[in-house]
Amino acid sequence: MEYFQAGKIKKQAPNHKPNVSTQTGFPSPATHYLEPSIDLNKELIYYKDATFYVRVSGNEWSEFSMLDGDVLIIDRALTPKAGNLVLIVQLGAFKVIRFPATSGSTSFTVWGTITYIIHNTL
Amino acid sequence: MIAMVDCNSFYASCEQVFRPDLWGKPVVVLSNNDGCIIAANKQAKAMTHIAMFEPMFKIKNQLIKNQVTFFSSNYTLYGEMSQRVMNILETFSPSVEVYSIDEAFIDVTGIAHISLKQYATLIKDTIVTHTGVPVGIGIAPTKVLAKLANKISKKVEKFDYVCVIDTDEKRTKALKWAQTKDVWGLGKKHQARLKNIGVFTAYEFTQLPLAWVRKEMTVVGERLWRELRGESCIEFQTMPKSKKAIGTSKSFGKKLEDLPRIEEACAYYISEVAEVLRAQKSCATYIQVFITTNRYSNADKQYSNSCTITIPVPTNNTFILTQQARKALQRIYRPGYRYKKVGVNLTGLIPQQYVQGNLFQSPALYDKRLMNVIDALNHKFGKATVGSALVGTRVAQWELVKKDRSNRYTTQWGELLELKNK
Repeated sequence: MEYFQAGKIKKQAPNHKPNVSTQTGFPSPATHYLEPSIDLNKELIYYKDATFYVRVSGNEWSEFSMLDGDVLIIDRALTPKAGNLVLIVQLGAFKVIRFPATSGSTSFTVWGTITYIIHNTL
Repeated sequence: MIAMVDCNSFYASCEQVFRPDLWGKPVVVLSNNDGCIIAANKQAKAMTHIAMFEPMFKIKNQLIKNQVTFFSSNYTLYGEMSQRVMNILETFSPSVEVYSIDEAFIDVTGIAHISLKQYATLIKDTIVTHTGVPVGIGIAPTKVLAKLANKISKKVEKFDYVCVIDTDEKRTKALKWAQTKDVWGLGKKHQARLKNIGVFTAYEFTQLPLAWVRKEMTVVGERLWRELRGESCIEFQTMPKSKKAIGTSKSFGKKLEDLPRIEEACAYYISEVAEVLRAQKSCATYIQVFITTNRYSNADKQYSNSCTITIPVPTNNTFILTQQARKALQRIYRPGYRYKKVGVNLTGLIPQQYVQGNLFQSPALYDKRLMNVIDALNHKFGKATVGSALVGTRVAQWELVKKDRSNRYTTQWGELLELKNK
């Protein structure tokens, strides 16, 4: 049976699933209100290909509410604005600072803008 | 117009993104099993007094003394960073041909709102900002010229990693700059032949009569000749070609003597290549297995052999391939040697929908669904989560050495970059 399919272009399977109730008894009153679940990848990440995760070790940056074990979401595509938390490189080492309003005398390279701090409360 | 985008010292650059302490310093990346250097950045290449092509054990001390940082290869990281670069390129052109892990051709025909040079600069800046990986870009009417422009963008400082060949004048200048060895696809043999008749530069090559090129260098030479003259002959390929053969062979972390452990390694490699085979929807007709001792060792007795088996009905089923490979291995294995390497090659690849059965066996004998489930599980839960039991659980005992591998920063939650105050 399979031989006849060779070389033929297969029709793509329908990927749209209409929201039809799968309950056998009463139809679900929610049928027309169904929405996709919340996807954190969509909510917390702006530029997927420019996003990196970094784990904080120690409480050096607790002033920025970053505690030991927290994970930072870092976006390299965003241009930091004054006051944004940024991961920078200074003298070959990583550091966290608030992006200054005016570029002072200290020189540094911005590695990425910190968009979220993930803190495990358990 | 075609742009050739090429990452600068890609493997080393990937490592440096996460290691700012190494910015501007010499970095090299080692081959599988840490045998020799396979990639070096600009600073490392400048250390010409170190023989970078020598085996690692000979030059390790020299590298340490010269403060060259070396990494075991971390292909998980490089593959992921490559994917990011390619994804970004997709946003700049509807047509991207991924040529290798660190190079791509992209079609930039029709860019009118800004100059090609500005466009290339924008692409270059975006990639380095988003991923941290620096690139060089060459733009020209043909692939061979784009490749040449890319080379010039990196070698000639004033271009600063962007070079556009869009006029005949610039093309001639580029061709006069290029030695025959700088031309993409012009092999050593042809370079020597051209040298014999007094042709040293790409420009001189393009001035040869076409009849001579066709006669002496076949259609391949003719294509290069035309491409260098601005006539496009090499098509854009946005789909990868199906592979004609798939194989893998890696050295063991330490020498192995007993058959069971070599069988385990062999079964592991089979599961790797069978997965690639299924991904491209092919089946293999022949399976070749080879083993070898360390031919560089004077202390060991030497032996190597290989065996090819015809699979009764071509397949991509891991279990049948494992069974056949084991049969081949048992045929060539001789006790009393210290083996360094086992390898497998699958050849005679055919599309899976054209598999012919024979008088006694139908191609549909084996259920594809099992393989589909195995692939799905391994994709979801990580490589080699399920597979043939012959692979066993002693992978760590023969797996190759990756002593100085960096973290898999972008794919493993447990290996993230750590931020700490020193």
